[in-house]
Formats: sequence, structure tokens, C-alpha cells
Amino acid sequence: MVVLPTTVVGSYSVPEWLERLKTEYYQRRISAQHLGEIHEVAIKAAVKDQELADIDIVSDGELRRDNDVDYFLARIPGVHITQRAKTDYYDYYDAEVSRPLPEANGPGLALADDFRFTRQVTGRPIKFSFTGPFSLSRRIRDNAYPSHAELVRALARRLNAEARALAEAGADFLQIDEPFLAGYPEQVELAVEAVNLVVDSVDATWALHVCYGNRYARPSWEGHYDFLFPAVKAARVDQIVLEFARKGLDDLRLIEQYEWDKWLGFGVIDVKNPEVEPASLVATRIRRALEHVPADRLMINPDCGLRHLAPDVARQKLRAMVSGTAMVRAELTGEGS
Amino acid sequence: MDIDLRPEKKLRESAAARSALGPIIEAVCAAPADLSQLRLVCDWIQYRKNFRDVVVGRPVADTGTEIAVDLRRCGDIEAGDLAGVLASAVKRALSGGDGGRALEPWVAGRESCIWRFNALYWQALSAWENATGREYEQSLPGGESDARNIEAVHELILELFRLWDDLDARHALPEELYVLELGVGNGNQARTWLDEFVRLDQRHGRDYYRRLRYLMGDYSSHVLDRAHKTVVHHGDHVSALVVEATRPGMTLGFLTGKAFLVYISNVYDNLPTDEIACIRGRMYQVQTQAFVPDGDIETLTATYGVDPDTLMSLIGRLLRIGPELLSESAPSHFPDTGRAVAFWRGVWDAVRLRERYVPLEGLDSYQVSQSLTGETLTGEILRPLLEAEGDVRVHVSNGAISSFTGTLPLLHPFGRVQCHDLFLTSPRQYRSGFYGPGKYDGSVVNWVNGPLLQLVANRRGFAVSFTPFRQRPGSNVTTLIAQARD
Repeated sequence: MVVLPTTVVGSYSVPEWLERLKTEYYQRRISAQHLGEIHEVAIKAAVKDQELADIDIVSDGELRRDNDVDYFLARIPGVHITQRAKTDYYDYYDAEVSRPLPEANGPGLALADDFRFTRQVTGRPIKFSFTGPFSLSRRIRDNAYPSHAELVRALARRLNAEARALAEAGADFLQIDEPFLAGYPEQVELAVEAVNLVVDSVDATWALHVCYGNRYARPSWEGHYDFLFPAVKAARVDQIVLEFARKGLDDLRLIEQYEWDKWLGFGVIDVKNPEVEPASLVATRIRRALEHVPADRLMINPDCGLRHLAPDVARQKLRAMVSGTAMVRAELTGEGS
Repeated sequence: MDIDLRPEKKLRESAAARSALGPIIEAVCAAPADLSQLRLVCDWIQYRKNFRDVVVGRPVADTGTEIAVDLRRCGDIEAGDLAGVLASAVKRALSGGDGGRALEPWVAGRESCIWRFNALYWQALSAWENATGREYEQSLPGGESDARNIEAVHELILELFRLWDDLDARHALPEELYVLELGVGNGNQARTWLDEFVRLDQRHGRDYYRRLRYLMGDYSSHVLDRAHKTVVHHGDHVSALVVEATRPGMTLGFLTGKAFLVYISNVYDNLPTDEIACIRGRMYQVQTQAFVPDGDIETLTATYGVDPDTLMSLIGRLLRIGPELLSESAPSHFPDTGRAVAFWRGVWDAVRLRERYVPLEGLDSYQVSQSLTGETLTGEILRPLLEAEGDVRVHVSNGAISSFTGTLPLLHPFGRVQCHDLFLTSPRQYRSGFYGPGKYDGSVVNWVNGPLLQLVANRRGFAVSFTPFRQRPGSNVTTLIAQARD
């Protein structure tokens, strides 16, 4: 693998026209069939944008998903969503569990199909992301389990079945997103336990993404990543993917302080700010990170998904990220950028 | 012919309004016009000073005309004269001949020079107040911009304490605790709030006052200076900033993600707005043209001893340089600032707006506002409101939207906007009332399209609620609260 590989966190820019069409689906103006075809076209375009930006490891842009939660909750057997109409596609469903979830006896969410589609449209390595059990649980009204932890574990077992199916379909780089964890720092041990249930016996490279939320391009919480450590060291993942561009680089100290000896997915692009970072700033950030993490354990990515950025801004940011990375890569390898 | 009788409540209450309807229909039907292409709209304009005559005509692209009638002023016309007055007014409206001298070409509502008059009022407020002998707050309903309600203030502060205690327990409380007030009035709101904050903080015992930063922002430096003096005893805890109301981020960008409370009072109703109409299922933008009627031209030219061209030139100069410099630059017409202000007031009283409907080729081609970073909010956001109400004419509240969307990013994830203003709370209200523009003293007032703000906030992840203004029961003022949802 190339030094300082570049990738994305998951979601890609959702153009205004696609947002309208998604909402129109909920208003019954277009069919599920047509929306599905629209999604496929949009995914091809998103992958192409990443390829043109020369991103090393691409994603499908998560363009089928209304938000970070509903796509999963709507498909998990035993999760009840009584009101499936939405005023705006990005709204969250009101989800409830009234009985323990049925144990998974195979994949039910069809995430592997989504991966297969992406595999067909690009020859580049693919990162496939899905929301983790802890965050999914925070959007479910639980009337079934004696404790919240039991619900989280049940969701984790369900996602493990999906992960196995994804690996069988050829997915070799999987990422668990936990966008809600920063709001519940006291539950990080539970979240890590659940992550380990998800990755259990799945032959893939695993990343864990923890951010401060990206709902409507705003942080949902503020704070520092101190809460993750040392608990996150028990997570059986190969990489943690954290945001730094927006929050500043102070938390890089935690990597050394807690001797994190796996990969770091280093956020160098602020996805909440439409101002495009110059490549030189990206390079400066990477150089700072290299003071704490060796180059052979550093992957370069935006802080979070790009979904709230306008398409042109997203493209420019990815190009800046790739150019800035190339500058540092050239310094490290002694080759021209 | 479409007939749109909007002031439902007034029609029930006012016999004069009801009795005007017959003569209005008579006059319209007697006019030489294709009735199938005619719209008749009756409003009740509550503002004594406004931009309309009793009857006006508005071309609807090339397809017809809208005759708009102010039923309130119909009641002022002697019953015996009503039919005759209306007949000639309708005839004049249909001929497009309301004469006068235009102050500008046809423009979108927000581009009109009435907003330059409005800006001038806030820039030269002290000169206006000196000339009129009244502070601007006395011209507001109730005589003050913010009444004070200690109980509401306590609730708000204690709620902040609860939040800060919680964040502190999670080591997530920032060192500096920001509260922002936009539209500071006479400073009484700030003084009450801060004085009570000190008292409650002492009782609470967490020393939050030491960390409190209270920012006062206003687009009038005169108002700001006066308000700041009211809270001077709070020293370094208070800062005063001149803020461009429609682009708060320009001055307050440093506050992004930090404000726990943004308190806004009587700002949005005073910001530029367009109007969009749906007529027979088609979208139109309302274009306006400010003008001075012929009769007022005669009066003003006689009063100041100038010809009409010179009058128009003096008005232009007034808007560019204000009354003080106008007096200095044209001492023969205005020997002192007071005389220049008298001229300003005379012109302002006379200013009228003509309107016409211009087809809008797709809501997505219409720009509601643009953020500092270039992000455009298109007219698509209006679609749910327009589609829900059939034929309707609504404010776009462009200035308010721009200000609001520029303010939301300032909020801490657990922060809130609390805003007192003239809000419509349902799009349906547009079908049953008149909501501006009107004139308040030297400023322009329009009610604010609350449902539109609600939609805009929703798309940004904020929940918006409206409640009656507790500080002044029975007033038209409504309180908007916006805070992050999900």
C-alpha cells in the first residue's frame, strides 16, 4: 500500500436535487424503483468524483441512506417504525423495539448487495462503512430489554451477521461509525464491547470512526477524545478514524500518551466548513500528525462524511487533501510529488 | 374574476368595511376591463402610515390586473362619495396611471430604496429624534421595545445553570460562557438580565458570572451606545458590537459554536424582504417601484422652493449622505439639520410603492439568501408553503432568513435562539390579513414569515417553536425559540 493512503470516511456530497428527489419519494411523487435507479446513478458519479480526485480507497458515498441511522433501523427485523412518511428525507424515523430482536440467522439488511454494486463500478480499493450498534441504539425507544446494554449487544450481533456477509462478498475494509458516542462518554466501554461483537470472526481490516457528530453539518457535542482512552484500546479494530481539522490537533497527544499502536485515520478536512483548505494546510496538519504517529500507520481522510458539502466544494476539498498528502509523501519518499 | 377578501375578522367587525364591498364591485364591473382577467383583493391595512393608496392596480405579467383595495380607508370616505371615489380610483388603477415621480426602476422588494430610507433612519436616529422630540421606542406599540418579566428571565438563567452544571460534570463546559443579544433597544433587557444573573449566580454558587461574556449587537451605533451605558456597571462582562443584521457572521464569526443563548428582539421585522405570490397556480415575484405622488411633489417643491428635478436630486442626496451633510451641502434649502430632517420626514410620508407581478421561472432559480460562504438558499424552500395554500402572497423575509441562518451557526450544540418579533405562525394567516409593509416612524415594518423560518431551521437541524410574548400579553409580538433537535 502507498505511504499515507487517502480515503473518505463514508458519505459523499448529496446534491440539492437529490435531496429533493429523496423527499419526493416520501411524498409519493416518485417510486421506490425510480429512486433506486437514481441512487445508482448518483453512486457511480460519487465514485467517479473520488477517482478523479485520486482518492486511494473510495466509498459508495452512502447515497442510498437518508441519514446515518434510518437505512439500518428500517431493515433490522424487530425494529418497529410506525410512521414511515417523512416531511423531509433527512429526518429521523421514530423507532421502537417492543420485543427482543430476533437473532440473526443470516443477513437481513442487504448491505452486501450495496457493496457488490460499488465493486462493479470501480477497480479501486473500497471502504464500506456502517453505523455502529451503540449509535443505532440511541435512536430506538427500547421497551424490550432489561437494560440498554442488552439492546446494544443485540444490535451488534445483527450487524455481525451483516459484516460476515460483506466479507463473503469481498469487502475487506469495513468501518463502524459511532457518531453518537461522544455524547455518552461514560458508556465507551459498552460501545467497545459492542464493536468487538460486530467484528467477531470477520476477516477484514476494521476501522472505528468516532466524531462529534455531523448532523446538519454541526457538531452535536463538544469536548475532547480523552474519553475514548484507554477503553478504545480494547477494541479489536485496526484503525481509529478521528476528526482533527475542525477541533485542532491537541488530541494527537492522546495517541502517544495511551500508546495507540494501530492505524490512525487522520481527519485533515473540516467537513462542516465550506471553505476549501489549501493543500499546504493539509500538508502542515499531516506533518504535525507525523510527530505523534509513524507514517506507516497513518491514513489520511476528511474529519467525517462529506454529505453536507456542495458537490463542487466536496470535489475541491478531496483534491486539496490528495495534493497536501502528496506533498508530504514526496518528502517522506524523496520522490517528486 | 377572482375576489380575495382577506380581512375576515374586520369584515365581521366593521360595517363600513362590509358596506364598501358593494360599491367596490360596482366600480370594478363598470370599468372597461376583461373581468375574467381581473383579480380583486381587499385588505385591511392597519398601519396609519403605509405605502399604498386606497385603491391601486397591479399588472399581473401580461395576463391581467389585480385591483387592491384598503377597506380600512374606504371607511374614511363619506358614504355618498364612496361609489364615485372608487369608480375613479379603479379606472385610474386600470389605466396604470397613478403618475408621480419614480425614485427607482422596478426592483424586487428587498432592493427597493425604502430600505435605504430605513437604513438612514437607524444611522441618523439621533437627528430624527432631536427633530421629533421623541425617542424611537415611544413610537413602538406599548412605548418600549422590551418590557421586562423577571420570572421569564429567571427561568432562562436557571435553565442555563442546569445546562452548564451538566456540561461541567462532563468536563465539557468551555471557559467562556457567551450570551449574545441582537437588537438591544434601550439596554433595559440586558440590564435586567445581567443584574438577575449576578443575583442568581451568587445563590447558585458556581461563579458563572466570572466566565460570562455578554455581547450586545445592533446595527445602529447610536442605539448601541445608549444601551451600553445602561449596563456599564457590568464592566468587562459586556461588549458592544455593531453588527450587520443580515450577516451577523461577519462580525461574530469568532462566536461560531459558542453562544449558549442568542436573544433577538424586534430586528427581523425591520429587514428587507421580497414577496412571492401564487396566482392561479403560477408563481410570481412582486416587483416594486417607490415613487412620490404628484400631489406630494407639488407640496414639497412649494415648501422647499425647488423644481421637481431638483427635488428628486435632493432626495437622492439625502439617501446618500444623510440629513446633517445634506444641510451642510445645501444650506440654502436646509439651513440646519432640523430642516433637513423635516424634509426627510416629508418625503418619507409621501413615498408610495407601486407593484407588479413578474413570472418566476422555477422556484429553484429564485435566490432567498446567500451565506457568507456563498451557500445559496433557493426558493425551493418556499414550495411547501406555497403549495399548501393555493393562491397566496407571502413575504420571503429575505433579511430575516439571512440573519437567522447566519445566527444559528453561532450556537453551542446546546444553545438556543430566543427571538421576539412580529411573526406569522401559519402560512394560512396570509390569506386573512395584511402583514406589511408599513411605516413605523422613519422605519419600515413587515411581519416575518415564521413558517418559513421554521422550515429553514428544520433543514439545519433546529426545532422552532412559537409562543405568545409573555412580557406583553395581548401584543402582536410572538416569541420564537430555536434549538438543535435530534
